Amino acid sequence: MNRQLTIFPIPKAGKISLVVAPRGVVQSLMTMLAALALRGRVIVLDGGNCFNGYALARAIRQHTHQVKDVLKQVMLSRAFTCYQMTAMLAKLPIDGTPVIVLDMLATFLDENVNFNKRQRLLDNSLNLLRRISEGAPAAVWARTRATPTGEDQQFLAPLLETAQDIWELQAPEIPVHQLPLF
Amino acid sequence: MGRTLPSATQLMLNEEAALSRFRRALRREDQLTFDDLFTSAQKHISAAAYAAHALPFETFLMAMLLEEHKEVLRMRKIIEMLEEMHA
Amino acid sequence: MPEFSGWLLDLFEDPREGLILYFIGEDGMRWRLSQSFPITFYALGKDAELRALWQHLKDRPREISLERSQRMDVFKRQAVTVLAVTINNPYEARKIFQQTANRFPNLEYSDADLQISLRFAASTGAFPLSHCHVVADELHHLKEITVLEDAWTLKSTPIPLQILSLSPDVAPHHARPSYLTVEILGETYHFDLRTWRPLLVNLRALIQRYDPDLILTDWGDTWLLPLLLQQSEKYHIPLGLNRETGRCVSWREERTYFSYGQIVYRGQQIHLFGRCHIDRQNAVLWNDYKLDGTIEVSRVTSLPLQTSARVSPGTGISSIEMVTALRQGILVPWQKQQAEMLKPAMDLFTADQGGLVYQPRIGVHKKVAEIDFVSLYPAIMVHFNISPETILPNPTADNLVPALGLAIDTSQEGLIPKALRPLLEKRIEMKKHLASTPTWDPYRKNFKRRASALKWLLVTCFGYLGYKNARFGRIEAHQAVTAYGREALLRAKEAAEDMGFRVIQLYVDGLWVQHPDKTQPEEIEPLLLEIQERTGLPISLDGIYRWVVFVGSRQNKKRPVANRYFGVFQDGSIKVRGIDARRRDSTPFVSDAQMHLLELLASKPEPEDALPEAIRFIRERLRTLRNGQVGLSDLLVRQRLGRKLEAYRTLSPAARAVLQLQAAGKEMRPGQRVPFLYTMGKPGVFAWDRPQHPNPRTVDVERYQRLLLRAAGIVLESWGLDEEKLTEKVLSDASQLTLPVPRKQHPLKHSRNIPGIVNPTVNPTLKNKAQ
Repeated sequence: MNRQLTIFPIPKAGKISLVVAPRGVVQSLMTMLAALALRGRVIVLDGGNCFNGYALARAIRQHTHQVKDVLKQVMLSRAFTCYQMTAMLAKLPIDGTPVIVLDMLATFLDENVNFNKRQRLLDNSLNLLRRISEGAPAAVWARTRATPTGEDQQFLAPLLETAQDIWELQAPEIPVHQLPLF
Repeated sequence: MGRTLPSATQLMLNEEAALSRFRRALRREDQLTFDDLFTSAQKHISAAAYAAHALPFETFLMAMLLEEHKEVLRMRKIIEMLEEMHA
Repeated sequence: MPEFSGWLLDLFEDPREGLILYFIGEDGMRWRLSQSFPITFYALGKDAELRALWQHLKDRPREISLERSQRMDVFKRQAVTVLAVTINNPYEARKIFQQTANRFPNLEYSDADLQISLRFAASTGAFPLSHCHVVADELHHLKEITVLEDAWTLKSTPIPLQILSLSPDVAPHHARPSYLTVEILGETYHFDLRTWRPLLVNLRALIQRYDPDLILTDWGDTWLLPLLLQQSEKYHIPLGLNRETGRCVSWREERTYFSYGQIVYRGQQIHLFGRCHIDRQNAVLWNDYKLDGTIEVSRVTSLPLQTSARVSPGTGISSIEMVTALRQGILVPWQKQQAEMLKPAMDLFTADQGGLVYQPRIGVHKKVAEIDFVSLYPAIMVHFNISPETILPNPTADNLVPALGLAIDTSQEGLIPKALRPLLEKRIEMKKHLASTPTWDPYRKNFKRRASALKWLLVTCFGYLGYKNARFGRIEAHQAVTAYGREALLRAKEAAEDMGFRVIQLYVDGLWVQHPDKTQPEEIEPLLLEIQERTGLPISLDGIYRWVVFVGSRQNKKRPVANRYFGVFQDGSIKVRGIDARRRDSTPFVSDAQMHLLELLASKPEPEDALPEAIRFIRERLRTLRNGQVGLSDLLVRQRLGRKLEAYRTLSPAARAVLQLQAAGKEMRPGQRVPFLYTMGKPGVFAWDRPQHPNPRTVDVERYQRLLLRAAGIVLESWGLDEEKLTEKVLSDASQLTLPVPRKQHPLKHSRNIPGIVNPTVNPTLKNKAQ
């Protein structure tokens, strides 16, 4: 199966960690999420319908038999529009609970919503995220698409500016099944 | 809103794929038996989906066992019948 | 003072008079009335921002009045403070709202972009095509309107619609039409499309004389009306397509969108004022429910006829919900902010599932009863009160949704159940009524079409609950519905098993059960009652099959697929799902033959007895095919273009056909169906709508033969004749001068040695005919 790209360090309070990577990174993110969940409550906001509960459960299982108990520590909410993403960030409790945002830009790349409106909502979202990160670990994954458009870059730029700890990852090599004979 | 989690069918394919190295190293006749196990588990894919287990492989194993046991019961019945005939 | 009874035909905003309404009088008169109809939208947000908005708008008292007020926010489950902005002339509303929203982007807005017909229906009860009593003053201002029959009336008084129909002799994207057929009041006229002046003059005369209420066209949206308008301007002969003088027709752009994972294309639209225009070729589900169904949709959704003909059932459901909300004084959000509740990830495993679906056992099953829940998902929403505002975040033991960790507030009927209940009840009533209507009854067809329109709305309402942009959608409500659905189906399964039935198949809202001694409807009745008792939901017997066959998937016939089957009921009627005979992309040659084979099997008490005749029939069809006697239009495949051409890595046959059309200057959009023939050599297809005529000699006979044998194999496999055996049996006939062709051989390999094309005659009438 997909091999892990890398294991990220666990994010720390006071800064926003940003992972810029293609979809394959979900597995590693779930490993990181498992590590966080083993310590206590974590909040996950999923903007790209990509939360992989099964990968998370497997990652937890490597550490403990109490998979259910640890899974219960992960609080999840999915956003399907940029309005929802912004509204969700505004509603989060600021109590030190770590926050992971998956595929944050997906909902902002929705051409059905006016461009200026989306930019404004992203600005609001990033302000909210900054406030959260002051007291709690916060990590964001920005998914790179196989065929990016001009907009992808326009929406990624403010995110890059906001984050303090940035990991940019390329698509993984096609996994090698057979060893070369020559 | 599309689904977030993979379907039970997809999960089973994933589990099968995860065992591909194991399968590759098996003898040909064992490979076919191995495939049979997964095919039989497929009959209970909707029950597995309904069960919604976080570690679905456990459910798939149960489905394989179930089909195996059905086969055992069927065989037992045949043997009993044969025994009666020859008694 | 005018006072009359009649039907509301059309209504729209007007810059001077506010709202214009057109009526068809019972006495045959046509009425144009007007009304001042101020409309209100609401702004919500921080006090400071609301104050700024008030400052900004307060100096335009002639146009706008402002008020601080309280309105119900369904998602917050309480009344909130709003600034009510009332605009005196509805014609100005859109512009004023847009300016406001741009200037104050941080406010939330409600009731902002609603169709005028929805507002009118909410405030007066009168919906498009409603039968009503009207009082007006001397200036023809509408004073009073009373609805005589509401939208839920089962048998409504027929509307005396004057219909003018316009249709070219051939599909314009296929070939150049040469004349236009005009029909009105049983009279038919043919106008030559090469001589525009007489055509325009005559058409104008007909429109003036008969003053039609509805112009029904073929390709009117995409071809005819634009052309007529262009020519009418060129020759300075105005046609009077609008009844309302001084207005231009209204154009709406074409669009392509996703609906239920399928790509859909809808062409550009032309709407008229004071009259309606419907393009049969661009109307939604026209083949399914025609004008009767379109009128029904218009009435229950409060959307004008021209709109109801062209919008998806999702928009229809949304309209019903919005009218219900307006009537209740509930805010209709412009942009929904409500997101999913923060829930333990653990819950997602159970929540993120669809309906319960078994893998059926492939093969024949005899004496099987199919029982279905009646409109299961809508019935669940109504019965269990599922609505965005009834989902409680802190579940107690009461009203817990099965296995979801959510609870439902049942103290008050929710918005969605309130909106759906009359629709569901009407559908159930209609179904009952249809069951008791004899087949010769002249109203039966009308009833069937209307029932079908309601069915589509109800089928959609569940998906709409989960649609991200739905105003009153909510993911938890969507999940609750499927959870109840799974629970209901499992309880039904348990009830059946407790009563000694064997469960053959479960599929979302239906189950197939078998009992050695219970093979008559009255013997199934106790099971139905038991299921109703255990679930609280209505269930009915769809029928008892003499036999039913579940077939494997198209890719792997050993792999069972839930919704691919065919069977014969005790009364001899045939039910087919998912195989060629039902698929819209299969060729008539193949699907007709498959259906005929099914009829053969159904005609004998033991299907085996039909096999010799079936084989004779297949041989006969193949002989006709090889002799070139199958009309080319019967060989057409109609596949949907799934995406833009650039997005294909290897071009599908449909994409290759589109490429040919592109070379001929004809553009196709994703979602459109492309008719084409399979031909020999490269590129293997011939797009039907190319300007050239296809050469019948190039038809890929081998491919059609294979398609036919495969389709026949699906039907006959359970009686020992799968595709392979059938191929052997049919092609070994000594009277055929062809060698058996191995299956799945590449068509190119045969390009030089085409068996059978000896006498390529083509049905001559098909050459110029429309598809």
